[in-house]
Amino acid sequence: MKRSSTAIIATAAALAVALTGCSSSGGGATSADPNAEVSFWSFTGINAKDSVNEYAKKVPGAKVKLTEVGSTTETATALTAALAGGKVPDLVMIQNDDLPKFVENSSNFIDLRTLGGDNIAHDYLGWAAGAATATDGSIIGIPTDVGGLGFAYRADLFEKAGLPTKPDEVAAMWKDWPSFIAMGRKYTAATGKPFVDNIETSVFFSTVNQVSEKYYSPDGKLVYDTNPQVKDAFDVAVKTHDAGISAGIAAWSSGWAPGRANGAFAVTVAPSWMLKGIKTDAPNTAGKWRIASVPGVGGNWGGSVIAIPARAEHPEAAWQYIKTMMSAEGQTDHFTQSGTFPAATSAVASQSVLDYTDPFFGDSKIGKVMATSVQKFPSFYNGPDTTPINGALLNTLVQLEAGGVTSDKAWATALHSAKQAIGG
Amino acid sequence: MSTATATLSRKQRKDPVQKATRIRNPLSERIAPYAYVAPFFIIFLVFGLFPLIFTFYVSLFDWNPIGKQTFVGLRNFEQLFADGRFWNALLNTFGIFLISTIPQLLLALFLAHLLNHARLRWANFFRMALLVPYITSVAATAIVFAQIFDKNFGFINWVLGLFGLPSVNFLASNFGSWILISAMVMWRWFGYNTLLYLAGLQSMPREMFEAASVDGASSWQQFRHLTIPSLRPIIVFSVIMSTIGGLQIFTEPLLVAPESGLTCGAGRQCQTLSLFLYEQGFGLFKFGYGSAIGVVLFVIVVLVSLLNFFLSTRTRKAR
Repeated sequence: MKRSSTAIIATAAALAVALTGCSSSGGGATSADPNAEVSFWSFTGINAKDSVNEYAKKVPGAKVKLTEVGSTTETATALTAALAGGKVPDLVMIQNDDLPKFVENSSNFIDLRTLGGDNIAHDYLGWAAGAATATDGSIIGIPTDVGGLGFAYRADLFEKAGLPTKPDEVAAMWKDWPSFIAMGRKYTAATGKPFVDNIETSVFFSTVNQVSEKYYSPDGKLVYDTNPQVKDAFDVAVKTHDAGISAGIAAWSSGWAPGRANGAFAVTVAPSWMLKGIKTDAPNTAGKWRIASVPGVGGNWGGSVIAIPARAEHPEAAWQYIKTMMSAEGQTDHFTQSGTFPAATSAVASQSVLDYTDPFFGDSKIGKVMATSVQKFPSFYNGPDTTPINGALLNTLVQLEAGGVTSDKAWATALHSAKQAIGG
Repeated sequence: MSTATATLSRKQRKDPVQKATRIRNPLSERIAPYAYVAPFFIIFLVFGLFPLIFTFYVSLFDWNPIGKQTFVGLRNFEQLFADGRFWNALLNTFGIFLISTIPQLLLALFLAHLLNHARLRWANFFRMALLVPYITSVAATAIVFAQIFDKNFGFINWVLGLFGLPSVNFLASNFGSWILISAMVMWRWFGYNTLLYLAGLQSMPREMFEAASVDGASSWQQFRHLTIPSLRPIIVFSVIMSTIGGLQIFTEPLLVAPESGLTCGAGRQCQTLSLFLYEQGFGLFKFGYGSAIGVVLFVIVVLVSLLNFFLSTRTRKAR
């Protein structure tokens, strides 16, 4: 009797645990203690630990439990799973590409206006703050950084090809995309080597972000297939391919890191957060690279915001972290230490950012190039399908370089796969 | 329960005096066995049956895990059958499955035949060595094979270059990437199947083969008329296992082209059904659409398994 009833109880208990485990945990009691321990999800590779240590110095007694979840995409995936029914962090970083789908479901986050966010939101670049603002006006995130854009080029290889080597002269020579392609032709004719690493990230990512209207109209309607600006941006990439000046080495593919080191191409796109990658991949090219403004007008690739999920346990403490560390001074400090470019307007214009240089890049005026690019960056509306459409267009260009599609069919193929990607 | 009552009735017959005390706890006696097997069934219920049924349910919705869930009926399936990416993934799955399974099983049969040879030295060493690929992590295998097949610096293209042939970008086309992935699958599983066949061969009486050779049967005739028929149950088993595994190939295409994320190539050259499911469900968080893919994959596996079952019962009857 005793044995079997124990078994029954054990079974019932197991069942109860299993069933309740499935349902999402209810919101915990929220605490208003600003020094409560804040759980913070960040990306790997952006030195979040430095910021956390800095915070501990600035606010004695404050506690932050940092988790470096993974890449930006992995962090967004983990956040989605947590929001859908798991334990959410108090603070989380969201990369701009992943942001629209969270903004669309803004009820998952605390409207930072309730904590005083509307007082500081206008301190940041308008388009960066706007990306984290929902249609009902609620602010779900504060910009931590933006992806100031430049082109990195090899001055030594440019010299051999008879091209100018000084960043100002180079930027003046490739003032627009047709001149960029013409320059590439000259380089390839002189050296027999490709000019740029690939057309999808180095060319298309730059051109498609220099538009005033991208895949959506300002009122949120899909226009990617009819917007002439998108087609023009795409055509520049196709023309670059047709000119025969691209190495066809996709970013992060197996040949990319060796290519940066061995001169398989002379130009690659360089958002501020990627500069460190060039140093790591090609340590022997120190002093040979330069940074210049991209052809066309301005640009941005990447950048992130920091947000507080609605079910966070310590929203007050999380807000204290944001207020302290996302100030213009906080972002300026973090830029000089780790390379993530500030999003606060006064930080972007500050002397210490504008004067920033790096001997690895031949003391090019990196800070000034990046600051100009984000100040000139035209803003446009990004919707929930921006990332899938982007991926479809990008992948078509990869296929174009691999010989999977021809130049004249590329645009039709891109539209077709974009349509499939958004399930239209 | 039948065991419990059986013991009870035997005891009853033996010792009628104890009858009263035995019968006092009939409920717990009857429930106990269920309780002991319950953990498995509860875990199966929670992690097996419930997700299965829930997948069917979710597939009828436009299900945003952090937003709205709208009932859409069969629209996900309509969309799926009109989706070129689905047919592409289906084709890739079956292409990889066929290219990897058929040569693999033939090779395994051949190797088993060799390893069964009476005069083979160090037979145990060779038999054990076959299992090395099987115990190697898929991630390691994927990295090595991606290097071997690399378009710029790969071993295969180096060999092609020696013969003056142009280098092949295996990952650029559907067929090329099938070969690459099939090579990985074969490498991992051929040893396992060889050992299965070898076990079957070793359970066969040697006298049968001796009698056959006395009757003048050639080695090929012995293989064709003795080895294959007696191995048939094991062949059917390995075909079923390879089918189930082959239709769910996931890790290899995920790892072979990491720069293109979850699509295995910019043009989805080697995206299999399960990778397509993962991309839609967990990459883009279209739970409804992902579930619909899961349901279709489930139906396909059931259909192919039924076909296998039909074939195996037919061969059993034929014997």
